[in-house]
Amino acid sequence: MNKDKDNKNFHIPDDYFEGFTDRLLDKISMLDSGQEGSALPKSDGFKVPNGYFENLNDKLNVRISKKNVKVVSLWSNKTFYMVAASVAAILVFVLGVQLTKAEQFTFEELAENDFETYFESHGLGLSTYEIAEVIPVDDLEITDILDIHLNNEIIIDYLDDNIDSYEELNLTDYEY
Amino acid sequence: MIAEETLVSELKQLETQAKAFEVLVDTYKERLYWHIRRIVLNHDDTDDVLQNTFIKVYKNIGNFKGDSKLFSWMYRIATNESLSFLKKKSHKLGISTLEMQERMVGNLKADVYFEGDEIQLKLQNAIATLPEKQKLVFNMKYFEEMKYEEISEVLSTSVGGLKASYHLAVKKIEAHIKEH
Repeated sequence: MNKDKDNKNFHIPDDYFEGFTDRLLDKISMLDSGQEGSALPKSDGFKVPNGYFENLNDKLNVRISKKNVKVVSLWSNKTFYMVAASVAAILVFVLGVQLTKAEQFTFEELAENDFETYFESHGLGLSTYEIAEVIPVDDLEITDILDIHLNNEIIIDYLDDNIDSYEELNLTDYEY
Repeated sequence: MIAEETLVSELKQLETQAKAFEVLVDTYKERLYWHIRRIVLNHDDTDDVLQNTFIKVYKNIGNFKGDSKLFSWMYRIATNESLSFLKKKSHKLGISTLEMQERMVGNLKADVYFEGDEIQLKLQNAIATLPEKQKLVFNMKYFEEMKYEEISEVLSTSVGGLKASYHLAVKKIEAHIKEH
C-alpha cells in the first residue's frame, strides 16, 4: 500500500517522527510525576562551566584578602593639615585685600535699569512655573498683560471658529 | 551538617571566621547560584553577583541578628544584589528593565552555557514578561521547589499573597506559551 497516497493533502513538521519517542517518554514521565496537563518543562536548560563551584571559595578568598590589606596613604595626616592650613592662609589674605578694595553699594543705590541690564544679560534663571509661584496672580487683571480689550463678542466668535461643537460646551448649565 | 547557630557564632569570631566562611560558601553556593542565575540568566553575571553576595554576607555577618534564618537572610541579599545588578545594567544601556530582560533572553540562544530546547526558551521568554515579584515567586516555587513559608521569609510577603502571585504567574506563562 502506498502510504503517501492517502495523506497527500496533509503535512507534518520536519523531523516530527525523529523526536516523537523522546517527547512521548517526557510526557509519560510528566504524567507519572503528577504534572498532568502542564505544558511547562521542569528544567530550565542552564548549565555551569566545569569546576566552577570547586574554585569559588578560592576566588572569594582572594577578593576578601585584597579588601583586608591596609592601604598606607602617601600623604600623612600631618602633611595634609599643613598644606590645608597654608592654602587657607593664602585665601584669607587674597580675599581680605580684594574686599577692602571693592566699593560697597547699597540696594537703594542700584538704578532700575541696572536690574534690567542684569536680567537681560544673565536671564532670570527661573522657569515660568517658578515665576508664576511668586507673582500675586489674584491682584492681576487680564488687561495688565494684554493691550487689546476682549469683549464677549470677540470671545464667542473665537470659540465658534475654533471649537467643533460649541453648543456642547454647556456654558450656562453645569452637569455634575 | 553544622548547625546554623554554631556557624553564625563562628562567623562572628575572628579566630574561626575564615574556616566558618568556607563552610558557609560550600553549603549555600549552589542554591544561591541557581537562584541568581534564574534572575540574571547569564553565567558570568551570575558569578559576579554571587561573589558580591558572599562578600556582603562576610562583611555584614556582625549585623545578623538571627531574627530570620541565615539562609533566608542570604537569599534576601542575593535577590537584592541581582535586582540592583539588572537595574544598573539597564540604566547603563539606557533601556527599560523589561527591554533588557527581552534582550537577555534573546541572547540565550547563543549562550554556550544554555542548552535548553525550544520549549525551555519559550518558558524563559514567558518568565521575562512577568512583573518582578511574580517572576521571583515563580522561580523560587517552580524550579527551586521552596516552601511558601520559606519564600515568605525571603520576600517579606504573606503566604496567601505568594499563592496568588504564583497562580497568576503560572496562568500567564501557560497563556504566553500557547500564544507563541
